[in-house]
Amino acid sequence: MALVEIDGLRKLYGDVVALSDISITVPSGSFYTLLGPSGCGKTTLLRTIAGFHNQNAGQIRVDGTSIEGLPAYRRDVGMVFQDYAIFPHLSVYDNVAFGLKQRKVPSAEIKSRVGEVLEVVQLGAFEQRMPHELSGGQQQRVGLARAIVIKPKVLLMDEPLSNLDARLRVDLRAELRRIQQDLGITTIYVTHDQEEALAMSDTVCVMYGGVIQQAASPLDIYLRPANRFVATFVGANNFLGVDQNGADLTLRASGADLSDLLSSAQRPVAITSAIRPEAMHVQAGEAAASADRVAIPASIKEVSFIGREMEVFAITKSGEILKSVDRPDPAIIGLTPGSPVTLTAPRNEIIFFEDSETGERLT
Amino acid sequence: MMKRRPDFWTVVTVLIIVTLVVLLIVPILRVLLLSFVDADTGAWTFGNYVEVFTRNYYLTGFKNTLFVGLLGTLGACLLGIPLAFFTARFHLRGRAWISTLAILVLVAPPFIGAYAWIMILGSNGVVTNFFEGFGIEIPTIYGAHGIILVFTLKLFPFVFLMTQTALNAVNKSFEDAAENLGCTPWQRFTKITLPLVFPAISTGAIICFVLAIADFGTPAILGRGFRTLSTIAFAAYRSELGGLPTMAVTVSMIMMAISMLALFAQRRILSRRRYASSLTNLPVKQKLTGWRNVAVHGFCHGVVLLAMLPTLVVVYTSFLKTNGPVFVGGFGLESYSRILRDTPEAIGNSFLFALAAVVLITAFSSLISYVIVRRDTAASGAIDFLMMVPYLVPGVVMAIGFVTTFRSGSFFGLGTATMLVLLYFIRRLPYGVRSTTSSLRQVKPSMEEAAINLGAPPLTAFLKVTIPLIMPGLIVGSLMSFITAINELSGTLIIYDAGTLTMPVKIYLAVLDGEFGLAAALSTVLLLCTGVCVYAVFRFADNRDSAFL
Repeated sequence: MALVEIDGLRKLYGDVVALSDISITVPSGSFYTLLGPSGCGKTTLLRTIAGFHNQNAGQIRVDGTSIEGLPAYRRDVGMVFQDYAIFPHLSVYDNVAFGLKQRKVPSAEIKSRVGEVLEVVQLGAFEQRMPHELSGGQQQRVGLARAIVIKPKVLLMDEPLSNLDARLRVDLRAELRRIQQDLGITTIYVTHDQEEALAMSDTVCVMYGGVIQQAASPLDIYLRPANRFVATFVGANNFLGVDQNGADLTLRASGADLSDLLSSAQRPVAITSAIRPEAMHVQAGEAAASADRVAIPASIKEVSFIGREMEVFAITKSGEILKSVDRPDPAIIGLTPGSPVTLTAPRNEIIFFEDSETGERLT
Repeated sequence: MMKRRPDFWTVVTVLIIVTLVVLLIVPILRVLLLSFVDADTGAWTFGNYVEVFTRNYYLTGFKNTLFVGLLGTLGACLLGIPLAFFTARFHLRGRAWISTLAILVLVAPPFIGAYAWIMILGSNGVVTNFFEGFGIEIPTIYGAHGIILVFTLKLFPFVFLMTQTALNAVNKSFEDAAENLGCTPWQRFTKITLPLVFPAISTGAIICFVLAIADFGTPAILGRGFRTLSTIAFAAYRSELGGLPTMAVTVSMIMMAISMLALFAQRRILSRRRYASSLTNLPVKQKLTGWRNVAVHGFCHGVVLLAMLPTLVVVYTSFLKTNGPVFVGGFGLESYSRILRDTPEAIGNSFLFALAAVVLITAFSSLISYVIVRRDTAASGAIDFLMMVPYLVPGVVMAIGFVTTFRSGSFFGLGTATMLVLLYFIRRLPYGVRSTTSSLRQVKPSMEEAAINLGAPPLTAFLKVTIPLIMPGLIVGSLMSFITAINELSGTLIIYDAGTLTMPVKIYLAVLDGEFGLAAALSTVLLLCTGVCVYAVFRFADNRDSAFL
């Protein structure tokens, strides 16, 4: 267990900025996830912590001590690799014992510790198997056992579930979280899968373009995205244009007055509003706005029924495509493209952003 | 930022660069500089090059070299391409047998072929005497046509194996599409299949050409007044002993320039032809019937048997009863007892030098391949490039460079044996590196990272994880470099002295003395250990054909 602090970290590849002024704090024993699209710098950050890259500036401290001068093999951080990286020429036992032998742990202790950790990852009977006799999920458990058996100060995981099939991914996700909590080991986890990030983490840190966009609890990330990028990347979102006319703020798609939702002092030049698809309700034909709901007239583009819910795509008069995720309604599912509908949404679920790729949230 | 000690692989990279500079770049530069020196005055001059390009003796040698090089390559293509096409596209009995024989031809020492042909078609050869019995005089093997014949039969496996590999990777849909669009089988072959495998054919051909240009043994044994640049360089070196070998090195530099120009031209042509092909639709083999079937079988088996003929003759000859240099009829083991009595040291030296070189090659090729594959620096790019150089530098050039750089009394005085080991090491290193590199490319970098992450320092991670994973490639590379090291002739002839005689040199000298029985017995020993190594390569290599290229 250890507290990890990263302070002003910069990493350049030639002229390309891979990491730009990264500062985060990972509390001792917590599960901290780096989430972002590919190329956002999350894996670079993880590998810099592991010591596979040298940063150009900034510090990484574990329990207050800088680890910058330590080569990768002295850092005492365990790592679980995306492609498992199980040594194919060594048995499960020898794979797990590898790090302990490097640390000159007495052989009797190696034996008992390897046995214990293999029980933890439910591979107790597999000690003498060779890696090619194991499934992908079992190999990844060996990878996890091998990383935690050395009792590292920090555990790093680089998309450990991304090579597994969907069903196994969900099962192993819960198991990883349970083991992490049982051991209370400080964990930094990299993924591009938002569902995985929200389900497992104490803190989710969204990265984009080598910059941290927001680091917060899963709930805050979802409900209070710090900027437009986070609002788009985590969960889906409908962005609707708004017009400013003096003190008036109106929704372009319906002309609804939204002035009361955003004070004039908070308004930059370009503003966009966002409504989550699950907040959008679809009604056939025309419907009027109410005191607490906006109503947006539109026509059906596509309806897909996917079992538990239906997804409706509709085009507004101003040409914006909106998505609604709602309970299945036979009256809507039967509609043909072009049929008039009205989408309504609660006024208090409309949030505003400065209108740019990473524009800040205004409310 | 804290200053770190240079890491392990940086130190290794520096070590490799230093080794390559000392053993490869310096000797070649010495040779290059020496070609601009006047032998009498020691002053800088272009005179040596002027002499080569104005005196008939050298000009003829230049033309002869190009002549036998080009025709030998052409011959190799004329045998290799049809052979590849037949084995890749038709059902053929004994396909594995054909490729095994082709590989044996490829790895057998070249000079053995030359002198075996003397025993068949020489002035006193079996076939020559046979026809003489009927009063028919057939042309002997000596001269340009003999050299071309030997090159053709010796070098066609390169074209064959490269083309066959490429043909097996051509998506059948291309050929089907051509047929669907109205091509006859012959048009389909010339317009679609041949252009698609052209890069492989040209690579095979360029290997043949470079080897033919640099070959010393064949023209030396079969030339009889027909001189090529390599025999001229060697003769010049011999006559200039004691003085500066300026003419020898000038001629050598021209040989090297021809090889480099040829390679450069081929690369230029290939750069415009890059075909990506997905192997979704594997080629199928056609079943032939009737006379076509007989003709194709006859051609394929005939070619490899003809190419194997010299080897068989050598082995046969080694068991003939001899009295001194004379064959007295019947079988006997005199030749073998003679090599054990007269030249046991040649056998011992050959194994000692080749094994010592291979130990160095194995160690260096594992380190070099790691630096090439895993380290993305300018230095690793330079090392990768330098690994091509020994293929292009004729043995004569390397050896003269070694002698002028390391001969005792000079700055780095080295003993002859050490020089030979280092010569084999540097000339055959690329065989080890290439095989190890292709093995390492299949190992994911995360393997070593995992070991390092678990607390293993770089050297430990390399020894405990990387080495076991690239072991098959390392073994194949070591075997290949052993085969080529123990068969080395042209460089050894320049460097050797009385105490460092090797088997190839002894064979060469015995052939010049007409001691064919002794030469045959020594050649059989060489062929035997080559054969054992080939068998071992078959055991360890993933793809047995491409391991030899």
